[in-house]
Amino acid sequence: MRRFIEEFSINHPWAVIIAVTVITVFFAAQLPGIKIDTDPENMLRADEPARLFDHEVKEEFAISDFIAVGVVVEEGAFNAHLLGNIHAIVEEVSEIEGVVADDILSPSTVDDIRQDSDGVLTVSTLMEYPPENDAEAKFILERIKGNPVLRGKLASDNGKAIALFIPIESKNMSHRIAGEIEEIIARHSSGEEYFIAGLPVAEDSFGAEMFKQMALSAPLAGLIIFLLLLFFFRNARIVIAPMIVAVASVIWTMGLLIMTGNTVHIMSSMIPIFLIPIAVLNSIHIISEFHDEFQKYKHKKTTIRNTILKLFTPMLFTSLTTVVGFASLALTPIPPVRVFGIFVAFGIIVAWLLSITFNPAFAVLLSSNSLRNFGKSDESHRPLTVALHAMRDFNRKHYKAVLVASAVIILIAVVGLKMIVVNDNPVKWFKSNHPLRVADVTLNQHLAGTYMNYLVLDGEKEDAMKDPETLRYIERLQRHLEQSSFVGAATGLPDIVKKVRFELFDSDPAKFAIPDSRREIAEDLFIFEISGGDPGDLFKFVSEDYSKVNLWVQLNEGDNRSVMSVVQSAEDFISENPPPAPLKAEWAGLSYINIVWQEKMVSGLRAALLSSFAVVFLMMVFLFRSPLLGLISMLPLSITIMAIYGAIGYIGKPYDMPIAVLSSLTLGLSIDFAIHFIKRTRNIHKETGDFEKTYNEMFEGLGRAISRNVLVIAIGFIPMFFSILVPYITVGSFFFAIMMVSGAVTMLLLPSIFIVLRKRLFPQADAETEETVIQKAS
Amino acid sequence: MKTLPIILAAAIMLMSLPALAGNSSPDPEGLMKEAHMAMFYAADDGISEVEMKIVNSKGKERVRQFTMIRLDIEEGGKQMYYTYFRKPHDVSRLTFMVHKLPDANDSRWIYVPSVDLIKRISSDDKGSSFVGSDFTYEDVSGRHWTEDTHSFVREDEYNGRAVYVIESKPNEKYKGFTSKITFIDRENHLVLREEYYTKGDTPARIFTAEKVETIDGIATSTFRKMENVKKNQYTTVEFSDIRYGCGVKESVFTERSLKNPPREYIK
Repeated sequence: MRRFIEEFSINHPWAVIIAVTVITVFFAAQLPGIKIDTDPENMLRADEPARLFDHEVKEEFAISDFIAVGVVVEEGAFNAHLLGNIHAIVEEVSEIEGVVADDILSPSTVDDIRQDSDGVLTVSTLMEYPPENDAEAKFILERIKGNPVLRGKLASDNGKAIALFIPIESKNMSHRIAGEIEEIIARHSSGEEYFIAGLPVAEDSFGAEMFKQMALSAPLAGLIIFLLLLFFFRNARIVIAPMIVAVASVIWTMGLLIMTGNTVHIMSSMIPIFLIPIAVLNSIHIISEFHDEFQKYKHKKTTIRNTILKLFTPMLFTSLTTVVGFASLALTPIPPVRVFGIFVAFGIIVAWLLSITFNPAFAVLLSSNSLRNFGKSDESHRPLTVALHAMRDFNRKHYKAVLVASAVIILIAVVGLKMIVVNDNPVKWFKSNHPLRVADVTLNQHLAGTYMNYLVLDGEKEDAMKDPETLRYIERLQRHLEQSSFVGAATGLPDIVKKVRFELFDSDPAKFAIPDSRREIAEDLFIFEISGGDPGDLFKFVSEDYSKVNLWVQLNEGDNRSVMSVVQSAEDFISENPPPAPLKAEWAGLSYINIVWQEKMVSGLRAALLSSFAVVFLMMVFLFRSPLLGLISMLPLSITIMAIYGAIGYIGKPYDMPIAVLSSLTLGLSIDFAIHFIKRTRNIHKETGDFEKTYNEMFEGLGRAISRNVLVIAIGFIPMFFSILVPYITVGSFFFAIMMVSGAVTMLLLPSIFIVLRKRLFPQADAETEETVIQKAS
Repeated sequence: MKTLPIILAAAIMLMSLPALAGNSSPDPEGLMKEAHMAMFYAADDGISEVEMKIVNSKGKERVRQFTMIRLDIEEGGKQMYYTYFRKPHDVSRLTFMVHKLPDANDSRWIYVPSVDLIKRISSDDKGSSFVGSDFTYEDVSGRHWTEDTHSFVREDEYNGRAVYVIESKPNEKYKGFTSKITFIDRENHLVLREEYYTKGDTPARIFTAEKVETIDGIATSTFRKMENVKKNQYTTVEFSDIRYGCGVKESVFTERSLKNPPREYIK
């Protein structure tokens, strides 16, 4: 097969180029059909129970996702002027398309129950009209503090912060609506600082930001890679070929993805940034070899044949291992990750095919003139060669130290691995100085919290929630939840009953409690319903048949770990305190959904990593026809994974979605250098038959190809360190680290092992001893 | 040539004259007043059993059943309502009273039987929900026709009945609607359909008289529906055992009878 592909490309270069062009144009024509989906909820299958339940709860209790808007004034926010502004802002915000105007939670829209000076029970809008003076404004704060349903949510008790919760019809409108809210605020604010936060905005804005970043970072990485290639090979015509291969692989892959009706999700938007470097890797090996050999043969076709001959098997296997790494993502239960894995795998196959067809065809067509000086510069004095020679000598002298150091690194890494904390928070996908992060911190410091979650308690019987014992139990659960430092407020039906009763009995503090009789509870609730407020408000806390209550659990932190601790705390309470009547507890809300998919992701990716590790090992045993070499080839990969993930443990960086997915990349890429290294070292040895010569050769053409790859990819990803989106920084850092670590481990550890095992691995006629090698070195 | 437009204009005016003047000249304000009287001031008093069903978007219904006693103190003016709840069962015997004053806020009282307590409740907002239904207090006791400016839209036919269609716009900014379209039965002046617009071309709520019966010679809509388009739910109200002109006394509408329902009307 190799021969056929190679000869065809060499003899019919135009056919290859035209075919590639036609297919590329075909796939490029699919690109305009792109459908973007930035909803992290789609990390879960559409029929995932947690997701269905969340939708059910939102429908049953008519709850929307919220954008949180807050204003903080150190001198106190409750003055007539600021409340007037807020009144005007809310009025305009309620007109925005996509805002559920009826359900806005703000001083000028929520109902408050109280009795006025004549003892008349009133359910009315808390701030129907802007207050006329500061005293009226202060009174509004007092009323918020006096209403357990509103307290801490709409205002901080010290009156420095006011919050508005803007419900939206659909999460994927939040970025646009947040923008419109900002404009409205800018028109009304008189210098006060407003903040916009909330999970839907963070998630949706991330999607919007992501595509901008994508449009920037993929081409930028491509450009830098191109410049580096130019620097190494000094021939623009030749290095344009790998760039075409990379771009074409991206177009084929994205074209197929769009054509097959897949949406471009947060994950799949990263396909180009993954594919470009991977696609370039093979080409660099080819060009590097071609570059180093061309002056030897001085004949294009011969050089090409020789290059392909040498590189075909290693390239096939490096590509296949990377394919295995990514394809293993198909085993995860997370649809976007599966799509991502499968299509990256497809892209890698395309890149491999193009590398061995398009590169040679392209090279054949180059005029010999333009190649005359290609590779002519004397490699022996170039810095790269000098560095490699230094490495060669260092290794020969200190190979034992290298082995010991590797073992120590593994031990240190294992400790780090144990320190890894699984955690994620889409808000933290933005850098800490991003306005959304600042808003998140500020609002959650002052108020009950911007992360709304819902704990539904199902009594499974009509009117179950009118039972005094059950309501008291729920109230205790609320107070228990509020003990967690992450819970700003847990609000529920008991609060409404207590408040109505308190106001009904002329604000008698003794009546601020759940009554003893079922009938009185029913009456209190009925009074709330009929005394003029929006009846819909009540049914956000209890189902219309009173069989279920919905506790609004407001968290001031969206870290999955914090959410999990709150979920656990509810579970503990319920198991330690059996409810008076059967009660089924279930969570809903965006933060809760995030922990559900995190759990799936962690277990799914562990399975993916382990299975692909096993598959890659078997492939290596097959490739080298030797279990020992198979084992050795797995070392750079294992050490790289351990070192990178160990470092993550030490740094305390949480193991989140990008980091989890990157394990497959690490696996797929870290093996590559080892494959090239071992396969080609064996080939060299077949020619030389002498370990010493073989050893020296490792640090020539082979070493240069690997080093060039390391440098090109690592440096190409440096610009991503400066992204405002943390996952991009993570991806950039990973490519950088994978290249550096696996390159270094391959070039240091493998030669050292070879020295130790040379008798077994590199048998030769005149058996050399370890001593002679060392003697030669010194 | 110059005279042609003038002739045309004159012809158009002549043709539209019957709509503007003459016997069948519909005076929109007058019609709305007639409708108001027909709907809310039939006879001098009225007693009825009422079954209200609040049906949410999923078709689940909540049922309320009560006896309602009405007394008109002044035709088209002051009115009193007394409501005795039978269902939901856990609030049965709860009573509720409204003194409706056309030019001022109503007075409302509620009696809470389990704690034997009478409480006045506020009535600032006539547009708020009536006992948790899709009807507002105003829908139940009527919005005074002088609060809006009315214009005649057309004559039409609705469910086989000849109707006038009137458009009303509130004189002062009002939460309930920005415009309202009313279909008034030409013969008995009952409102057969009313659409309330708050924003855009789709009504936020639609009232329909689903059934009209003649009781004691008075045309009465005995089955009414209010559809909340926005919330995708509706409320129906069915009146039964309707009695007009029972000679209800004003003493029924006192705090005392909130605690002790008038047995002659409420069994």
